[in-house]
Amino acid sequence: MNSDNIKYPFHLTTHPFQGFWDLKYERNTRINLTISFFILFSLIVTNVLSNQYAGFIVNIYNPEEMNSLMEIVYVLIPVLFWCTANWSLTTLMDGEGKFVEIFIATCFALVPLVMINFPWIWLSNFISMQEAMFYYLSQSFAVIWFIFLIFVGNMTVHQYTPSKTIGTIVLTIIAMGFIAFLCLLFFSLIQQIIAFFSVIYQEIVFRY
Amino acid sequence: MYPIKKRYITLLTVIILAFGTGIPVVKASVDQRSYNYSYWADAVPAPPAYQAVRIIDGERLGIEPLSEPNDFHVSPNRYIYVADTGNNRIIILDETFDVVDVIETFFIEGSKETFSSPQGIFVNDEQHVFIADTGNNRVVHLDANFDLIKIVEQPESELLSDQFTFRPLKVAVDYAGRLFVMADGVFDGFMEFSVDGYFTTFIGANRVRVDPIEYLWKRFATREQRSQMVNYVPTEFTNLDVNEQGFLYATNVDNSDDVIKKINARGDDILRREGYFSPIGDVRYTQTDGSSRLIDISVADYEIYSVLDSRRGRIFTYNGDGHLMYVFGGIGNRLGEFHTPIAIERYDDYFLVLDRELGEITIFTATLYGQTLNEAVRSYEQGDEELAHQLFEEVVNMNVNLEFAYTGIGKSLLQQDQYEQAMHNFEQSLDQNNYSKAYLLYRNRLLRDHFNVIMSTILGTVSVITIIVVYRKIAKRKRRVLVEQ
Repeated sequence: MNSDNIKYPFHLTTHPFQGFWDLKYERNTRINLTISFFILFSLIVTNVLSNQYAGFIVNIYNPEEMNSLMEIVYVLIPVLFWCTANWSLTTLMDGEGKFVEIFIATCFALVPLVMINFPWIWLSNFISMQEAMFYYLSQSFAVIWFIFLIFVGNMTVHQYTPSKTIGTIVLTIIAMGFIAFLCLLFFSLIQQIIAFFSVIYQEIVFRY
Repeated sequence: MYPIKKRYITLLTVIILAFGTGIPVVKASVDQRSYNYSYWADAVPAPPAYQAVRIIDGERLGIEPLSEPNDFHVSPNRYIYVADTGNNRIIILDETFDVVDVIETFFIEGSKETFSSPQGIFVNDEQHVFIADTGNNRVVHLDANFDLIKIVEQPESELLSDQFTFRPLKVAVDYAGRLFVMADGVFDGFMEFSVDGYFTTFIGANRVRVDPIEYLWKRFATREQRSQMVNYVPTEFTNLDVNEQGFLYATNVDNSDDVIKKINARGDDILRREGYFSPIGDVRYTQTDGSSRLIDISVADYEIYSVLDSRRGRIFTYNGDGHLMYVFGGIGNRLGEFHTPIAIERYDDYFLVLDRELGEITIFTATLYGQTLNEAVRSYEQGDEELAHQLFEEVVNMNVNLEFAYTGIGKSLLQQDQYEQAMHNFEQSLDQNNYSKAYLLYRNRLLRDHFNVIMSTILGTVSVITIIVVYRKIAKRKRRVLVEQ
């Protein structure tokens, strides 16, 4: 990976319109995909590390409920849900984006969350209660930046107007809720079917 | 080979038991019923702070059995006054739990009077006895020799409606002689009477709590339907006590965060709720069991107060900041468990619990753990940081899970300028505010101590960078000059 590939995500966060355009039309998809996975990985690492190592002033965690594997799920599942829901909707709404493009754009939008939160893991160990305000301020700033990038990314990938993008985003969030509901329903049904067969098996075993 | 070994072990056990039982202090034993709540609202086992040592009832006292006693009070000279409601009498025990006197009658201007189901009793510093003579709708004030001083009967005031009947249930008197009465069917708070026995005002009413769903129903109901519905009225109090400074401590069954109140002279609630949870009794409970039903409160010295949960028979003790110190008791048939606990009293290292149906008093004494913890909190309240530190250390050695003790240790370390250790202790008690204070002091000291090094590093770096930049510019210019030539 050359230095341009490392610089590109940072370039994109500061020049989103140009950046997302180049991302879709100018750059190699395979390299973009690699960078996307790397961004996802660093976000997971950031979250795990901030749970464990962020300063006591901003971070009280229950060691009994801490699970680094769940942090992976907390990052991957929302991203996958978002991409699936967005793709399903935009194919019906004349969006020009392919699934891969949506996924890459979403991952690149996550960069501010890593870029701002990662240094704060270390910095938050050297602040007092009053200075913790800056911590929360920059966290909210990171989230707002992320939302803005997701908005621009979506608009560029699908070649939408701004108002249509906002509408799609709202619908996507609703669709994510539907997907979550269907998944729960599916899993609970599977569970019951498995339970049903295992009970039948037990009955047979007890009888003969 | 094998049996011999076994015999040795038996012998060893016997020796340990023989020597072990000689220790005079009540030792903490493994007791599943004793617990405390962690920061994460988990019930964590804790050593028992109090142990039941004796039960006294009418038979053991050599008098007629108690019949539904409802209240008792310990006077400052450690005499115990029991309101034996069913037998219409007052029993007085001395500090060794022997009967001193039984009052069944007193005289009003020469005529003999009796009590009618007295439900509340209070004794002030001068051994004056105040009895809520519920059945006779009056409060009787007797002096130390049980001669009548005054009687408070149905008050007349424009604050009271015409249908009001005065049924006093519980009484308390502050150091100035003001009388506070918890009366049946009064929603406006406690009734306050002056020293002469005149009704002055209501104090400390509970706030009306409106259920949002019920409120919505009422908005849609017609006037006729609404008149059929239950009115919103503030909950009544369940009990009260007065501390040395004259603050009222009261309990109610509101199902909210302020079931315990500390009421000042203006009627405001000034209880400190700085603990991990508001003092409400049990933090974790199932929906079917319900929250704790606090029916009595006993304030001891140094802001420590205890409440009695009648639902599960447990006694919760909090310090002045609202940290849960310890829990003991329960419903059951063993010693130290109750059937229908109705009143508690706390003095020195003793704890008395009155059981209404069984008509008996269970006496608890503090274990070594309880004594140390009490003493630690007392010396902390007194401002004796040094002793508090030492005692909290001892407490923590007996129960590492008592989180608020680390705050105590941390605060005294902070006083002694040991910021780093203080920070460590505040981290143990998950106390971010105090940690932040300690950290700021620590950081300031660190910066001040290493001011020379830090400043020279910064200045050095800046000058080095400037030199490099300037040098580069000069070099570039030279090159350009060369090129142009």
